[in-house]
Order: sequence, then C-alpha cells, then structure tokens
Amino acid sequence: MAHKKKNNNIAKAILMDDTELEYVITDNPPRGGMKYTYFTPDKKYAVQFFNKAEDAESAQMQARLENIVGLYNPTISQDEGGAMGNTSETAAYFSRLFCWPVALIKEPEFGVVCPTYPQNFFFGKDAVKPGVNLDMDGKDKKSKWFTSRSSRWLAEKEKGNFQTMLRLSISLARAIRRMHAAGLSHSDLSSNNVLIDPKTGSCVVIDIDSLVVPGVFPPEVAGTKGYIAPEVLETMEFDFDDPKRKLPCAATDLFALPVLLYEYLLHRHPLDGPKVYSTVSTEEDEYLQYGPKATFIENPQDTSNRPDDLEVTIHDLGPYLEKLFLQAFVDGLHDPDKRPTASQWERALGKTWDLLQPCKNPHCRAQWFVLYDLHNPVCPYCGQGLDSRDVMHLRLKKPMRGRKGQWQQVGEINLYDRMPLFNWHFIANVYPDEKMQNRSMQAYISHQGSEWYLVNNALAGMLSPKGNLVPVGQAVWLKDGEIFPSSNNPEALLLEVVRG
Amino acid sequence: MSSYVRRLPVYLLLDCSGSMSGEPIESVRQGIKMLVNELKGDPQALETACLSVITFASVAQQTSPLTELMLFKEPKLEASGATALGGALRVLRECIEKEVRKTTENQKGDWRPLVFILTDGLHTDDEEFDMQTKDLKSLKVANIIAVGAGPYVEQATLKRITDNVLLMNTASAGDLAKFFAWVSGSIKMSSKSLDAKPGGNIELPPPPQGFTIVP
Repeated sequence: MAHKKKNNNIAKAILMDDTELEYVITDNPPRGGMKYTYFTPDKKYAVQFFNKAEDAESAQMQARLENIVGLYNPTISQDEGGAMGNTSETAAYFSRLFCWPVALIKEPEFGVVCPTYPQNFFFGKDAVKPGVNLDMDGKDKKSKWFTSRSSRWLAEKEKGNFQTMLRLSISLARAIRRMHAAGLSHSDLSSNNVLIDPKTGSCVVIDIDSLVVPGVFPPEVAGTKGYIAPEVLETMEFDFDDPKRKLPCAATDLFALPVLLYEYLLHRHPLDGPKVYSTVSTEEDEYLQYGPKATFIENPQDTSNRPDDLEVTIHDLGPYLEKLFLQAFVDGLHDPDKRPTASQWERALGKTWDLLQPCKNPHCRAQWFVLYDLHNPVCPYCGQGLDSRDVMHLRLKKPMRGRKGQWQQVGEINLYDRMPLFNWHFIANVYPDEKMQNRSMQAYISHQGSEWYLVNNALAGMLSPKGNLVPVGQAVWLKDGEIFPSSNNPEALLLEVVRG
Repeated sequence: MSSYVRRLPVYLLLDCSGSMSGEPIESVRQGIKMLVNELKGDPQALETACLSVITFASVAQQTSPLTELMLFKEPKLEASGATALGGALRVLRECIEKEVRKTTENQKGDWRPLVFILTDGLHTDDEEFDMQTKDLKSLKVANIIAVGAGPYVEQATLKRITDNVLLMNTASAGDLAKFFAWVSGSIKMSSKSLDAKPGGNIELPPPPQGFTIVP
C-alpha cells in the first residue's frame, strides 16, 4: 500500500469500544514519570502508554482508569456515561477545568487517550521579554513560570494581574471541590499538573490518571517536590502496604491546593524561607523543611522561617483568605483533619473576589488589590492610596426564612466604576458556580464625581430605594446608609449602601 | 526578592579524545545545545539547575564553569589525543569542592551534584584513575552516571566509578541525541522529585531504547 512520505510514522490504536485511532510515532517522545506521549495527526488528542509493562498490565491500574473515564467522569453528562447527576451543562463547565481522559486503548497495548490542552495554555513566540535568550514557543504554561523567579524572563503581557490570578484560583478550588465531592482525590496536585493562563485567568488540571478512586487500590505516586503533604513525606520510608504509611488522599490534596493558591496569589512558596533545619546534608535539611519540621514562612507564633523582606502578606489578601491560610499552614500543616476543604477555599476566594478594587496607579504590577480595610484604602503592592470618595461598599442581605423583616448578611462587595454585577449579587441562594448558566451582566456601577449609580442592564423588576420600578437602561443613585430590596423578585437580596 | 531555592549542580564529563573526532564530537556539540534549550523550557530546571562541562583528552579541564542556565555559554569542543578519565575525575572533585555550596547555619546548601560521564574508550591515565576511584563511591560527593558508547568501553572500569552504568551501542549521532535527551529528562526529574530518604539512590527515567543498564 502506498503511503505519503509524511505518514510513514502513523500507527493505529484500538480503543476499548473497538474504534480505531491514528497517532504519530516520534523519536524520543515526551516522557513523564509514568507514561510517554504521542499525538493524533490533528494534535487534538494525546495517546499515552506506560513506561513500565507492569503498570500497563496491572489490573488495579486498568480498573482505576476505567472508573476515571466512565463512572467518575465530571466532563461528560450522566446520560452519556459520565458521573452521576452530571448534566450536559455542568459537564461542559468542567471539561474546561480538567484535561480528563476520554478513552482507554487496548491495542497495541493498554494506554490512555486524553484531549490535548487548549491552545491558550501554550506560550507563543513573543512570550519572553525582548532580548531574553529563551525559546518558549509551544511550551506549556506550567504555573512555576509565573510564580517563581523564572517569571522575570516573561513578557509583561503574559503575567496577568492579581485579578486574573484570583480568577484562576477560584477555578482551581472549584475543580478540586468537584473532584472531592465525587470521592476522588488527585494525589499529585502540583505546579506541573495544573496549567495556568494568567492572561485570561484560566487554569486546567491535567494528569488525571493517578487519581485515587474509591474502592480501588490507590496509585503509587511519588508526588512532586514542594506539594507532597508533610505526613506523606514523613512516612515514605514505610512499605506501601504498611498501615503507618500515609498515602495520597483528599487531605493531602488539601495541602497541595493551598500551596498552589498561595503561589498564585503571592508568588512564593509557603515553606521556602531562610531557616536551615539541618547542616548534616542538603537532603536532610530538605526533608525536615517539607516534612516533620515544616514551618509556614508566615507563621505568626514561630517566625524562625520568616523571610525579612515580606512586603505583601496573607493579611493583605483579606480576612477570608488570611483565616484559611492560617488554618491550612499553621493548624493543619501537621494535622490533616484541620485543613480547610476545597469548598471552603472556593467560597473564601469568591468572597475575596467581591472585595477587589482596581489600583489607581497605572504602573502597579498587581493592578488590583483586596480592599479589606475601608478606613485605610491602600494598595499593598505599590502603596497607592484611594480617596475616600472612591470607596463604596454594598452589603448584601437575604431574608431569613420564617422571620419576616429579618435579614442575614450573605456578602459584601466593593464598588468601582464600570463594575459588572450578576444574578448572584441580586438573588438569594444563587452562586457563580457550574450550576449558574446565566452569566450575563444584570447591572453595572457607574461612578461620576463623588456620586455612585447602579445602572440596570437586564435585571427584571429592579427597584429603587423608594420602591419604584427601574427599567433597563435607567439608574438608581446609591446614597450612604440606604437599605432597599434590589428587585421585586421574592428571593431578591437587600442592598445596604456603606460609604468608605 | 530573595530566593531560598537550592541549586542543582550538573557536571557533564565529556570524552574529547581523538576517537571522538568527526561526527561524534559534532553530535556532542549539538547535544549540549539541545540540552540547554530543553532545560530552559522547564521552569523548575531553569530555576534550579546549573551546568558545567569538563572535557578530557590528553589532559582534563573544566571548559565551562558551573553556571546558571540563562548565562551558560557552550564550550568550544575539539577532539584529539588520549583519554585522561582519571584526570577528569580529579578536576570534577576540585570543581565540586570549589563550586558547590555546602549547608551552613545561615545558608541553604546546593543539592548533591548530578554527574554524567560520556566516554567511548578506555582511560589512558591508569595511575590517576586508580587514585581517583579508590574512595569515589564511598565519599558520595555526587550522583554519578557513567555512559559508555561503542565497542571499546570496558564495563568493569566504569563500574569502579559508579554503580550507575549505561551502555549505548555506538557513538553515532542518533545515539548521542538520545543520550542528551535522556540527560535532560534526568535533570528535569531530579529538579522535581524529592529524595525522601537522605542519602538514598536517585531516581532516573528509564533509559532510551537501545541503551542497556549494566547491573
């Protein structure tokens, strides 16, 4: 049979359902700890085989992967064989957050088919600063590029800002919350297995195949330096089946998750400080630093590992995140049960999002900051202050069930000019998560001189403080101290206007 | 902002004896170029790995001092003369002593160096070789991987340097390209994985096809 020359290296894989998939055989295929990778000719899918025959032939491995591709798959709907309760909308939402395996290969040997990462997770030609001798074109956006000293080589436009980093942090927490809700744990969550695109504020979780699946023997993953939970590192010397050995699980993900979030938001590692734990050897020093003696660099009681040049700290991330970082890295560092859950992180990050304020300094590298102290509105990154006329705050309250006339505060938002507002700012029990399909702007804020206005963009039945209907295109004046229901919807939130 | 990241020193000990002239030495040049480019594409390797080249022919010398990857300049390589592998080991020890940071009360030390030796023949400096290999294994100054290329390599000799010995069939362009790709994979892996047991053996990716591990 005549082949075109460029097709010489095409091979055929047979999937479990007997369909065929072509892939291109290359020399020195990219190789990870477990697998090596080829691609389909259209580069839409990665075709992966195991380095070791014993892994490929392991019944446990095959059972685990069958579960991952089918029963526990949040990226396809239940109707199409995916996870229970998954609708096609939530499946579509999560398929953007995960690079989830789509099929298993039976011939020529056991392997996995995964979608390739979306294009925005690869660097382009002009990803580095002018004059820097680095060829980044086509390299994937591992998060260390943005959170370590390596970021100094990147072009400014690649780095995003504090707002985009917070946005992708929310996505990551949501992805892990979804995984944990199904009883799955990632077990090797690290800067290599989460790609981020700060430019657009998006992330994707990759390397899903070492997941811990309920009821199936856990995978033997080594983990990645800096993301291995201290208790896992401490007990690594025990045999795999020794009960004393701590294996990767949801609680260990809940160490790795805040490490990543801390890196995204503060551009440093929470355990990398100046403290020397042992002078016997580098290995011992390192083992103590990430294992039994690990000390958070911002531990308020034990400052032995605190760098002397910390400018921006967890305190500057606002009350919700400060509390959780202390819980994760002080109380929960050596006590896995005390670590915050992914859902707590998702909520705290979301509440922090509502406190964002744009920095007035056009040269500020962060461009956004968390305004947590209305009486002292200063950007912690550049020191630029805000005029008190520019500080405006809304408290969101929902009616308490069965107690007419009583309200419970459910959120607080800092306002800024042209700030978009959505359904979850106006209606009780609506959250900006995967279930929320209507993500169109309902209203926006307009700040003119020292006055603030709420402009109706699409909010049905919007009400003014006096209780009059506000048609689309019209605005209400927000005055300090006013409290009023935002619309005539029975689930409408009450808005309380607070001036800084 | 100060950084508390440890460096991973990597030493390449490259055979530049007469038998390497022509295609092999050209492949080594290409290989180093590829290796540096490949490592610069990995943020962890870029941040932690430092590279040095020590060449050995009739004499051994450090042709590129231990340098962070962004500042690394490829050495000029010429192949001629004998095979002073013993001398190369002496230079290696001197360089490690001088260039690798030790952990002190106030300073985080570097990682144990990763050393790749590439040779296509037998050493010609017996006396030096005997002296250098006497305590090399027991001192554990570095994680050394010795790779022999072609038919003139003596396994037993390389085993005196280290327990990690690999053999490749030829010093052809293809095999040398595979060798450097594997070195790059090994460095990336070392910059990510963590030696849980201080002093334990390092983990390396499986060797490329056609390479054999000498047990």
